[in-house]
Amino acid sequence: MSTTEQEIGGAIVAGGQHDHHEIPWIRRYVFATDHKMIAKQFMFMSLFFLLVGGTLAGMMRWQLGFPSQPMPGGGILPDAMMAPTPAGAIMLPEFYNSLVTMHGTIMIFFAIMPLLVGLFGNLLIPLQIGAEDMAFPRLNMASFWLAVPAGMLMLASFAVEGGAAGAGWTSYAPLSTSGEWTGVYLGQQLWLVSLTILGFSSLVGAVNYITTVINMRAPGMTWFRIPLGTWSLFVTAVLVLLAIPILAGALIMLLFDQTIGTGFFRPEVGGEPLLWQHLFWFFGHPEVYILILPAMGITSEVLSNRARKPIFGYHSMVLALISIGFLGWIVWGHHMFQSGMNPLLGTSFMISTMAIAVPSAIKTFNWLGTLWKADIHFDVPMLHALSFVSMFIIGGLSGIFMASTPVDIYIHDTYFIVAHLHYVLFGGSLFAIFAGITFWFPKMFGRMMNEPLGKVHFFLTFIFYNLVFFPMHNLGLQGMMRRIYDFTQYEFLQPLQPMNEFISQFAFALIATQMLFVINFFWSIFKGEKASDNPWNSNTLEWTVPSPPPHGNFAQMPMVFRGPYEYNSPESDYDFLPQTTPPREGPGPSSGVPEPRPTPEGAEA
Amino acid sequence: MVTGEEHKAPPYMTVFVVLAVLTVLEVLFAFTSLPKFWLAVGLILMAIWKALMVALYYMHLRFEPKRLWILAASPIPLATILVVVVIKEIF
Amino acid sequence: MTAMTADRSPMAGMKVYNLKLGMWVFLLSEVMFFTGLIGSYIILRFAHPESFGAPGDVLNVPLTAFNTFVLICSSVTMVKAFAAIEQGDQRGLQKWLLATILLGAFFVGVQAVEYTLLSREGFVPMAESYHAIARGAAEGSAVIGGPLYGATFYTMTGFHGAHVSIGVLCLCFTLWRARKGAYTAGSLGGVEIMGLYWHFVDLVWILLFTIVYLI
Repeated sequence: MSTTEQEIGGAIVAGGQHDHHEIPWIRRYVFATDHKMIAKQFMFMSLFFLLVGGTLAGMMRWQLGFPSQPMPGGGILPDAMMAPTPAGAIMLPEFYNSLVTMHGTIMIFFAIMPLLVGLFGNLLIPLQIGAEDMAFPRLNMASFWLAVPAGMLMLASFAVEGGAAGAGWTSYAPLSTSGEWTGVYLGQQLWLVSLTILGFSSLVGAVNYITTVINMRAPGMTWFRIPLGTWSLFVTAVLVLLAIPILAGALIMLLFDQTIGTGFFRPEVGGEPLLWQHLFWFFGHPEVYILILPAMGITSEVLSNRARKPIFGYHSMVLALISIGFLGWIVWGHHMFQSGMNPLLGTSFMISTMAIAVPSAIKTFNWLGTLWKADIHFDVPMLHALSFVSMFIIGGLSGIFMASTPVDIYIHDTYFIVAHLHYVLFGGSLFAIFAGITFWFPKMFGRMMNEPLGKVHFFLTFIFYNLVFFPMHNLGLQGMMRRIYDFTQYEFLQPLQPMNEFISQFAFALIATQMLFVINFFWSIFKGEKASDNPWNSNTLEWTVPSPPPHGNFAQMPMVFRGPYEYNSPESDYDFLPQTTPPREGPGPSSGVPEPRPTPEGAEA
Repeated sequence: MVTGEEHKAPPYMTVFVVLAVLTVLEVLFAFTSLPKFWLAVGLILMAIWKALMVALYYMHLRFEPKRLWILAASPIPLATILVVVVIKEIF
Repeated sequence: MTAMTADRSPMAGMKVYNLKLGMWVFLLSEVMFFTGLIGSYIILRFAHPESFGAPGDVLNVPLTAFNTFVLICSSVTMVKAFAAIEQGDQRGLQKWLLATILLGAFFVGVQAVEYTLLSREGFVPMAESYHAIARGAAEGSAVIGGPLYGATFYTMTGFHGAHVSIGVLCLCFTLWRARKGAYTAGSLGGVEIMGLYWHFVDLVWILLFTIVYLI
């Protein structure tokens, strides 16, 4: 495209305005190949599914807080989901099972994964390594446009006879091999097809990310100068690449069991249900690291920048990321401690699971080290990032309990596990996502998000979230099991009803609070304070280009001279030192083209 | 640049002959009356030898940078772990 | 392309061009995919050995051995196509691509025939209708193996066959591009990655054939 240089030149002259493409609207906004546009596409899609997933959770919490009582607004749902009674619509147990299943599935595969990997992977990788786009822009477009039909199929499954999948997001055989017990037939198959397509979407994305990071780094961007955001996404992409195909194989075999009548997992014809569990969790454990590693990367970026201090122990942070990625392959059995597995194997999984806490702990201590005696700016991204660290510690600690096989006998499949997973996925991943969106919003849209509204959203979310999920540790220890429509049928659990009601009330408040984020998000796109190239005075390469960056990102290929965390460096007059600023002493790079010195925006508060 | 790398033309036809011969040997070997265990070992070894020939010569791995070898080999430990651990589980 | 000054080039990276690296990375995921399928077969066989037949009892080893040879030949023709374009030989490229397509299509055809013959003998993937008897045995002979045998066989070989079929379609596309002069000695990435995929499919079959038909 010979017009690209013109476009970039035009963009530079215009100073951060959108460059004027001749490409038609549909190629720019719909079938986009620019990684930044694809990132936004993933973002909008995922935020929508985040709200869907939250709504499903709200309905679940209604049933748990007010068992078998008429649900407000339930009348609009079909009879297959809510039984009509004179007093109002009461949730049916089968629908509750679908809610449990679909809440988990949608949150994991259509909200968190595409936000962390689709949005931040696409947005950050080329910009942070100094590339003009991904290695395979059209493949990138395919990645998004495969996710869309996958999502549509998943939503459509609610509308078919029998309803949406109801065997849990883990879809264990033999519950899932036939609709006999869940009452779900087509819905379960749609679930399988949808996830297979989504898996393919993620897979081609991973191919793109890995190739781009390996091969397209700007001169001077050695492996140990890559920002942690990109490093975490790179390790995540490797996990996606190697784990998703195992899931695909398992999904296909289950689909065949359901449709063709094969017997892979059907014990009645000689199949092996445990094989499903092994295949699923061999994928499933790397999957949860896929859901947390990019969040860790984002947190490192935000913490370091907002504390105006280098990340403590950058090298060990990288090694920790790699270790977690590595060890994540040999711990899957800890999801299966109660499956009747060989006890010797259980012990080895216990040991490897406890071992994997070590690199996570190293990262946590390094974040704390970064904050120690730092010039902390308590703005919205920082608040969310601090929240990530503290909530992740809680989630990680509860994980240690579960790692111990004898303890797991008591807490497996209870609300203790639900508490743990929400502490790492909401307290961890989602807070990091909020941090990341707020932090990189100016780079995406050229405007800042509203700070006061952001703070209100943060504080309310943080408080409500803890009120909802912390008590679940207790509920679990007292024996309340997961995935149960009406726990009050057990006399020993009836005293837990008030706590469940308490949790549900705050769950509704938590969901409602997210509207503040939605309002902030959309309002800021149009009316937010205009942002400069580098509103956070950051060092990484994405902040050396206009907000938003033009097509092709960099007017000329950047030269990188140092690592990404030179805050408060003696070599700089300011409290930051961008990666691309040539060193002071001696002549610049052989090309002789000096990088412009950035001017800090606003006062250093 | 997407040119072919500079090296002598790999021995494609030799590899073909090796592959063909090994295939015949495999089939003949499979129907001998050795104990099942040794049959399996021998056949797996022959299959791996054939696979390596294809990977090293036809897929050019022999002439690629060593880093690519490491990349290419990376799924093998994972595959091994999955199969071995699950078999030990069931066995 | 972003404007670059003469000495600003990206880091060396993997030292192979993007398309080739991308294809290798993709093939790693394919290794894991077939690991899932073949690994499951191995695991199920260890768990339920009585559900599977001995080599040659049900499956047609000679026919498939011949088919294996066909696929190996197609790898040779593919490699010759690549060697041709390395020398800038357009006619040679097209000739050998065509040969690869024909051999690949032939492989799939033989598999289709094999599937038909097998299912007629009761060797099917469906559990409820599985009643495979020995090759050439009379009607009503003892059933060999169990439903798992059929399920795993068709899934593994079927997905491999699907990969071959997709490969044949991609080869047709590559041939079409070749006829339009898209490839030269200085720009043969498309052919090289096509070759990588094709050889990989052959490699998987080498392992599949041994594990499923001979062990």
